[in-house]
Amino acid sequence: MSKAHVVHTGIITAIGNDTAACLQSLLEGKSGIGKAEILKTHWQDELPVAEVKLSNEELAGKTGVSPDWPRTALLSAIAVQEAWEPYKEKAKGLRTSFFSANTVGGMDLTENVYKDFITDVQSVALKQIINHECGAITEIVAAHFGIGDFVTTISTACSSSANSIMMAAQMIEAGMLDIAIAGGADSLSKFTLNGFHTLMILDKQPCQPFDNNRRGLNLGEGAGYVLLMSEKAMQQCGAQAICTVSGYANANDAYHQTASSPDGIGNKLAMGNALKKAGLKPADISYINLHGTGTANNDSSEGKAVEAIFEGRVPMASSTKAFTGHTLGAAGGVEAVFSALSIKEGVVFPNMRWQTQMEDINWQVETKLKTGQDISHVLSNSFGFGGNCSSLIFSSC
Amino acid sequence: MLNIDLYINSAGIISGAGNNMNGNFLQNIPQYSANALPAVEPDYKEYIPVMQLRRMSRAVRMGVVAAKTAMQQAGIEKPDAMCVGSAYGCLQDTETFLGKMTEQDEQMLTPTAFIQSTHNTVAGQIALLANCNGHNLTYVHRGHSFEHAIIDAKLYLQQHPGEHLLVGAIEEQTANSIKALQYAGATAKEHYAPGDVMAGSLHAPVCGEGAAFFSITQQPLSEKSIHIAGLDIFRADEQTAFEKISTFANNNSPFDVFVSGMNGEKRNHAFYRRLGEEIFKYTPRTTFKQFCGEYPVAASFATGMLFHRIFPGIDASRVKNIVLVNNHCEYYSCWKFTL
Repeated sequence: MSKAHVVHTGIITAIGNDTAACLQSLLEGKSGIGKAEILKTHWQDELPVAEVKLSNEELAGKTGVSPDWPRTALLSAIAVQEAWEPYKEKAKGLRTSFFSANTVGGMDLTENVYKDFITDVQSVALKQIINHECGAITEIVAAHFGIGDFVTTISTACSSSANSIMMAAQMIEAGMLDIAIAGGADSLSKFTLNGFHTLMILDKQPCQPFDNNRRGLNLGEGAGYVLLMSEKAMQQCGAQAICTVSGYANANDAYHQTASSPDGIGNKLAMGNALKKAGLKPADISYINLHGTGTANNDSSEGKAVEAIFEGRVPMASSTKAFTGHTLGAAGGVEAVFSALSIKEGVVFPNMRWQTQMEDINWQVETKLKTGQDISHVLSNSFGFGGNCSSLIFSSC
Repeated sequence: MLNIDLYINSAGIISGAGNNMNGNFLQNIPQYSANALPAVEPDYKEYIPVMQLRRMSRAVRMGVVAAKTAMQQAGIEKPDAMCVGSAYGCLQDTETFLGKMTEQDEQMLTPTAFIQSTHNTVAGQIALLANCNGHNLTYVHRGHSFEHAIIDAKLYLQQHPGEHLLVGAIEEQTANSIKALQYAGATAKEHYAPGDVMAGSLHAPVCGEGAAFFSITQQPLSEKSIHIAGLDIFRADEQTAFEKISTFANNNSPFDVFVSGMNGEKRNHAFYRRLGEEIFKYTPRTTFKQFCGEYPVAASFATGMLFHRIFPGIDASRVKNIVLVNNHCEYYSCWKFTL
């Protein structure tokens, strides 16, 4: 049985258009949260977002695809291109697959024509609605890159792309595939912005995850993928592993459709079972990339669950959402890239804007950049609506 | 071909051709003249407290009750894990929120419809009602959403042997989704009868919907259990699909019945007729989309029909090995079941 090795990454977020640019921003403490400029919404001046400051035409130009694609597909294609470009010629004959999660599908286009669609469907160009489905986003990107041995789309809200990495790792371990590009993408849309706003969990200022006075989350957009290979594929492609996907688990909180249980039942199960799968003890974990959205509810239940699993001896931990915002279906993919970077570069990213210790937990997040660290195992958490909780563990080779 | 090797021990089915909650599933062949077949829904009050029911959209109601039925029939209170497929997700709630957002220019909105619009709402609600903390995934990959849930079940059971899974699929139709599918040429505008579907004379298929959930284990739980002995899935053009189906047939024959996913549209009918004449020449053939209509997870309806040993027009007592070939647009699946 071959493990799934992370050999390369691809990413685009508000803090950078590729892995190197994102890393630079993480090291320099440069946040991507600010005023919406591309997304046209009633809430432009009130709700900050972590937006990729490129128009759809500019995004499309980076990969040579149609600017008529939904924005989620445009973001996805850029990150896939970065992850896949160095190996696509070397992978001939290997079974190559694409596991891409998203939650928003083509909603950014649909929402602009929905009024017209209701009154007179003929007045709406088919291209505005034809890629509305979440699965369509994955398929048009897969077709552009000629990836077809296995293509799937997972949608489990904010944990979506952690689950696509989990499934990809399993299929490589089971010998069903050789190569997987796994992660997810999501663009900003009025639909999601307004949806989260009605839940009253959006921060009107840049968010402060794990701060006692946190006010909520900022939505972000982007795409993040890890390129996973079996040992056989690495040999053929001459690829070096950055780390392996050593553990994964998916659990359900079964508490409430949107809220997490106070003690983080699902969170604890996901983290505990991922450790079990990896054959690791809590003390083996060097760094936790927290889900840490900045909402009162998430950070409290995640914080308590972490405290319980690590029995009070919590390793270095931080949320990177103060940089990227909450990229929803892309978050697990984006943070998998950050986890791989943490191992590769020996760094722990700061939990930005932290000021005040949370009253209901007895441990502290890392607030300053740490460099020169020996990072062997990173735990990455992704929790979401529908009670979906997933944890991944990345381990140095 | 994927080495699936799983057993289906029970089924909960809600479809345009009726549901299996009262013991007479498909006893009477449905009659209609329609371009869309709404699911025949059971009396949900028997399954879900009225207060909870009021907040649930049709997709959630269908999914939850089909799941409950599958669990009851298998004699379990809650599964260890679940895998769900749904290409379109919760359309009704999505449209409600989208409609209000556009009408009210993004103001004075309430969260309920948004909360329930996410694709994993059905799986989340089943987990919530059954208090199931296990693995919980939702696949949203067009005409392969159900098949990917089956593959996930296989992967999960490999690592968690002996556990009991709930696997299912759900799709709801709305007036607007039918309108959009008609605009794209994927659903009929004219009204058709079951005979028209079977004759393959449609300009576009009749739109279906429904939910089908199954208890799935690695070993059979009773003599009712049926075996998924093989599965191959691919996205392909017709010629490539023909070749792949031919390979699947060669590797898995003989079969006692060929269950065809023919949806009644002319070209689709010609394709399945060619399969019947060239690949499954000596195998009796039957169809199911005249019952349930065409929708991305229609293979789940067919699976439910096979679980109930219903093979329209064929002597069921002689059936042991079944091949099911289905497609939704260019998404194909070939299944081998044994009774």
